[in-house]
Amino acid sequence: MSTTTMAAPTPARIRNLFAAEWTKLWSLRSTYWVLGVGTLLMIAASITDAIRTTSRWSELMEDLRARFDPMSVVLGAPSAALLMLGASSVGVLVVAGEYSSGLIRTTFTAVPDRRRVVLAKVGVVAGTMLLVGVVIATISFFASQAVLSSVTAGVSIGDPAVLRSLASDALLAPVAALVGMAIAALLRHTAASVITSCVVLVIVPSFFKITVYPWVDDIYNAFPLYVWRNCLSMLDPITRPYFPTVTGSWIVFAAWPLVGIVVTAVIVHRRDV
Amino acid sequence: MIEVNELTKRYGSVLAVNGLSFTVRPGLVTGFLGPNGAGKSTTLRMLLGLNTPTSGTATIDGKRFRDLGTGLRHVGALLDAGDVHSGRSAAAHLSALARSNGLPRRRVDEVLQEVGLADVARRRIGGFSLGMRQRLGIATALLGDPPVLLFDEPINGLDPEGVLWVRRLFRRLAAEGRTVFVSSHLMSEMENTADRLVVIGRGELIADEGVTEFAARGTNFSVSVRTPDTAVLAGLLATEGAEVTSDGYESLTVTGLTAARIGELAFHHRLMLHELATHTPSLEEAFMELTADSVEYLAGQPQ
Repeated sequence: MSTTTMAAPTPARIRNLFAAEWTKLWSLRSTYWVLGVGTLLMIAASITDAIRTTSRWSELMEDLRARFDPMSVVLGAPSAALLMLGASSVGVLVVAGEYSSGLIRTTFTAVPDRRRVVLAKVGVVAGTMLLVGVVIATISFFASQAVLSSVTAGVSIGDPAVLRSLASDALLAPVAALVGMAIAALLRHTAASVITSCVVLVIVPSFFKITVYPWVDDIYNAFPLYVWRNCLSMLDPITRPYFPTVTGSWIVFAAWPLVGIVVTAVIVHRRDV
Repeated sequence: MIEVNELTKRYGSVLAVNGLSFTVRPGLVTGFLGPNGAGKSTTLRMLLGLNTPTSGTATIDGKRFRDLGTGLRHVGALLDAGDVHSGRSAAAHLSALARSNGLPRRRVDEVLQEVGLADVARRRIGGFSLGMRQRLGIATALLGDPPVLLFDEPINGLDPEGVLWVRRLFRRLAAEGRTVFVSSHLMSEMENTADRLVVIGRGELIADEGVTEFAARGTNFSVSVRTPDTAVLAGLLATEGAEVTSDGYESLTVTGLTAARIGELAFHHRLMLHELATHTPSLEEAFMELTADSVEYLAGQPQ
């Protein structure tokens, strides 16, 4: 009888694990709602912003017009905060949802190699959120610039600064989602993880304003939302000391999700479930 | 083949499992018994690599479960029917699991058919009854056609028809040469299903033997006697060294003498008997007797 003897262990193929996590994400109705409604909301906010700016354009002071950054309406600061909040919640749900329902035990009974499971989750979440970010940034860009073109010269997508700004808009979502996953791996509790992600990613950096103490500014410069607002999203970032630099900002954008992935993998691998 | 060797798990000051060693062989249904809190689930979780043992080993065909890649192909397990996401359909839940192990899509339909959930495959698990969730859990265990199967309290929530179905399923899986390990806190459930028993109490091994040997362990069997002359017979039996208790009108319960000896005494003294029956201890009683000292949560006892 062939079933009586144990077959040689076959490694779980990462391609199969991706397919499994993809199925899990898209078999929940909430995924369609959160991502669909969220994307439409972001695009609508951008168009509304552009319309408001256009209608007030003639009343604006000369220097305000000169300083106007056409990229600021693609993804406004409140939209960026909301985007990070939503994206981090998706990351939280993908991890904490499994722990709080107990599904995690079924998952690890099917695939005992937990680090591979984490890798597949990270891939699917980061890929999906990057796609969402790119869709939001691209559509918002073209729609808002079309509206703005009636009063001021729009910017071209081919401009390197424009591409950098759009890339930073698109990356906010995957960065926040991976941080959300790490926080959920640490706390394992959905509500606590959503609140913690919100505090760390959005609320705390929203209060930051440049100070006269360089070491405080250095701390501020380590937060993704802060460097996005004060550097990456701007067409022409301020290049004074203590302000975040473009290179430094990209390092922050890379470091947070990387640390998040490592934390998630190590904690999920070590802890009992 | 499941091998557990000196397995120990400590949670702070509580020893959930203490130096547990036993073997579960293929081709048999082995019952895993113990009162609530005896450490059954903890042991199963350590077997499946979900909890790390404080010391000792738990292996399946000589390998640690966590060293296997595709778990479903080696071990099928139902730990808790609630370990699902209630927002997914049964089909989506199973197909995600099947994909993770590279199993063909048709396995999902096959196991859903086998457990009788084919008609509700597209419905959200959140709307399932406990019995339906148990069936889904059993479908999950069968998905990878594994040689080793573990079930933690699989009967909970099943209707009588479901209980019969599960018993037949376990017998069939064992007859196919698979290792079938089923935990329960109810002895009566195992009486009809298991060939062998592993009994634990307070995390320690109490028995690891065949069902019949285990039943024979029950020591306090008794004989019930019905006679119009209870007073005379009771006196006679007492002089023979038996312990006699009166159960009311014309009825006695005797321990310490066999039914044959009681009949002989009555015959010699011309006493009429209406009934003479040996009361053999059931598996349930043997179990209660053996685990009496190791019940973690005893009702009605002052702390």
